[in-house]
Amino acid sequence: MPNRRLTRRDFLKFSAAAGGSALLAACGGGAATCDPITSADTIALDTLTECATAEGQLTTIALPHDWANYGEIIETFKTRYSLTINELDPNAGSAEELEAIRANRDNPGPQAPDVIDIGIGRTVTAMEDGLVAAYKVATWDSIPMKDPDGYWWAEYYGALVFECNMDIVETLPVDWEDLLRPEYRGMVAMAGDVLQSNEAVQTVLGAGLSRTSGAFEGAAQAGLEFWAEMNAAGNFVPVIADVGKIAQGETPLTVEWDYLALANRDTLAGNPEIGIVVPQTGVITGPYAGGISAFAPHPYAARLWWEFVMSDEGQLLYLKGYAHPIRFNDMAARGVIPEELAAALPPAEAYANAIFLTVPQLQEANTYITENWRRVVFGE
Amino acid sequence: MTVDRLSVQGSVVDAAPSGKKGGAPRARPPRSRLIDWLAVGPFFLFALLFIFLPSLQIFIRSFQDREGHFTFDNIVTAATGVDFVNAYQASLSISLITAVGGAAFGFLLAYAVIMGGLPRALRTFMMTFSGVASNFAGVPLAFAFIATMGTAGLITRLFEAITGLNPQRDLGFSIYTIWGLSIVYMYFQFPLMVLVMAPALDGLRREWREACENLGGRTYHFWRYVALPILLPSLLGTTILLFGNAFGAYATAYAFSGSFINLVPIVIGAQIKGDVLYNPGLGNALALGMIVIMALCMTGYGLLQRRSARWLR
Repeated sequence: MPNRRLTRRDFLKFSAAAGGSALLAACGGGAATCDPITSADTIALDTLTECATAEGQLTTIALPHDWANYGEIIETFKTRYSLTINELDPNAGSAEELEAIRANRDNPGPQAPDVIDIGIGRTVTAMEDGLVAAYKVATWDSIPMKDPDGYWWAEYYGALVFECNMDIVETLPVDWEDLLRPEYRGMVAMAGDVLQSNEAVQTVLGAGLSRTSGAFEGAAQAGLEFWAEMNAAGNFVPVIADVGKIAQGETPLTVEWDYLALANRDTLAGNPEIGIVVPQTGVITGPYAGGISAFAPHPYAARLWWEFVMSDEGQLLYLKGYAHPIRFNDMAARGVIPEELAAALPPAEAYANAIFLTVPQLQEANTYITENWRRVVFGE
Repeated sequence: MTVDRLSVQGSVVDAAPSGKKGGAPRARPPRSRLIDWLAVGPFFLFALLFIFLPSLQIFIRSFQDREGHFTFDNIVTAATGVDFVNAYQASLSISLITAVGGAAFGFLLAYAVIMGGLPRALRTFMMTFSGVASNFAGVPLAFAFIATMGTAGLITRLFEAITGLNPQRDLGFSIYTIWGLSIVYMYFQFPLMVLVMAPALDGLRREWREACENLGGRTYHFWRYVALPILLPSLLGTTILLFGNAFGAYATAYAFSGSFINLVPIVIGAQIKGDVLYNPGLGNALALGMIVIMALCMTGYGLLQRRSARWLR
C-alpha cells in the first residue's frame, strides 16, 4: 500500500526534523493513528493536522485563484497548516479532474490530485467509477446538499445573472425574455461554450426554466428553443465572453455566475460601469461538489483541506468571493455572517425563487442539451 | 521544401535561388556516415516521438472503449453522427476556401512583388511582413479580428460613425461564421504562400522568357509551356500545405468563436476536455479521420507532383 509506506516514511522524516522532543511527544500522543483511512467517519482535527503535517503536501486541481476566492482560501490554508500546495492545471474542467484521478490510480507522485471540485452533475460518474473516497467533515449535518454516504458534498453555489456593460446596454433587462428584445441585437453572450462548459449548459437550462415557470419537465427543450430564437433574432454573439470582451463591448450582455460577475465588476472598477441583474424567473443555481480522490497520495491533508473549506471560516471566504457558501442558511441562523459580507451580494429576495435541481435532473438536461444544441439552435 | 524540389529536378538545378549565377559547383566533402546519421538523428527522434507514436496511439485508441476493450462504436459514431459529418464538411470547406484563396492571392502578390516593376524596398517589406504574419495565429489573431471587425470592433465602429448603421446590430452582418473565420485564416494563409513562392519565382530566369520570345512565343506560351510547369509542383505543394495549415488549426478558431463554429478540431476538443461531454475514444476516432484525410491529400499531391515533374524532363 503506497499510502502506508508514504505515511510512515514521511512521518519519520518529519519527526527527525522536528527533533527528539517532538518525536517523543508524537509517540506519546497517538502517532499510530496515521493509518490508511477506511471509514467515512469524521477524524479529530488535531489527528488530521498531525498526520497531514507528516504528509507535508496537498495536491489540488482546477482551482483558479480568481474563482470564488480560491486564491485567498488556498493561501490561508497553506499558511495555517504550513503545507506545500501543489496546484495542478487551474483551468481544468470537471471531466479532466476525474481523468487526472483515473490516469494516476497507481501513481502517488505530484500528478495525482488529492481533492477535486467538480460540477455537481459529474458526481455520478465519479462514484460509479470508484474515483472518490467517502468522508464526513465535522460540519456534515449542516450541509444541505450531499451524498448520504459522504462521497461528495456541495461547497458553494452561484446563480446565473446578467452582467451588463452599462456603456452599451442602455436599459437593463429584467428577465430572460427581455434578452430577445431588438434593443439587445448583437449583444447577448454566454461565458462558455455549450459543448464544453457546464456554465453554458446551465445558461440554456435557466432560460428554459424561466419559460416552464420553474418546472423541470420540458425545460431543456424550452431552453434550446429560447436560444434558437435568440440566434435567429441576431441577438446572440457566438463568442466566449470574458472580462476583457465585456469591457471592450464585444459581449456587453453576458449570462454568467453571480460570483464571477461580481468579481468582474470589482476588477473593472467602474471602467466601464457593470450592471448585474438577477433574473425574475429561471434563477438557476450551480452548486459545485467537493470530493477526495480514492487514490489520494495525501489522504490526511485532503481531509484537513475539506475540514477547513467546510468550516465557518472557509465558507465565509467563499462568501468574500461572492459565492454563496452551501452552509449559508445554517451560518445565517447562527448569526456568524458579517453584515458587510452579506451586503456585498445582491439582496437575498432576488434569490428567493432560486432553483436547485437534483443530480439526475442535471444529467438528463445536460445530455439533452448537448445532443440537440447544434440541431435546434443552428438548424444543422 | 520547394527549393529542394526545384534543384533536384536535373535541368533546373540553376533555378534554385541558392545557386547564384556563375557560382562555383558545390563540391561535397567526404564525411563519415556516422556523423551524417547523427546529424539527422534528432529529427527522426522528434518525428518518432511527436508524429509516429501519437498517430499510432490515436489509431489504437480509436478502436477502444472507455475500459480498453475493442470496439467499432467510435468509428461508426464519428462517421455517421450528424454533428460530426457537419464538422468534417465545415472543416473541409474552410480549408479548401482558404487554401485556394490564399494560394491565388499569395501567388499574385508574390508575383507582383518579385516579377513586377515595384521598388526593391517594397519587396523587403513584403517579405518581412509575410514572415511575421504567417506566424500570427491563435488567441492574438482571433482577438485582433474581434477587436477590429467584431460587433464592437474598430472598423465596425468606424462604419457606424460614417453610415449611422451598425453592421452587426442593424444589417445582420456577422464575422462569427465560416466566412468570417475564413477571413481570419487568410491572414496567415496568404503570407505563407508569399514566403514559399518567392524563392520559386526567383528561380524563373529572365533568359527563359527571352528564349521563349525569340522563338515566337507570347506571354501565354511562356506561362503554359515554361513557367507553369516549373512552378506547378511548388504551387500544388504549397496549396496542400495551406490546406493542412487550416485543417488542423484549433487555437485560432476556438479563441474566435468557441465551439459555435463546428469544426473537427473543436469537436475533438469538446470530447477530450471540458465539463460536459467526455469520450476520448470518439475524439481519437475523429482525429483518425483527420489523419486519413491528410494522408489522402499527401498521396494526391505526390501523384500530381510526379505528373507535373514529367514535363520538366
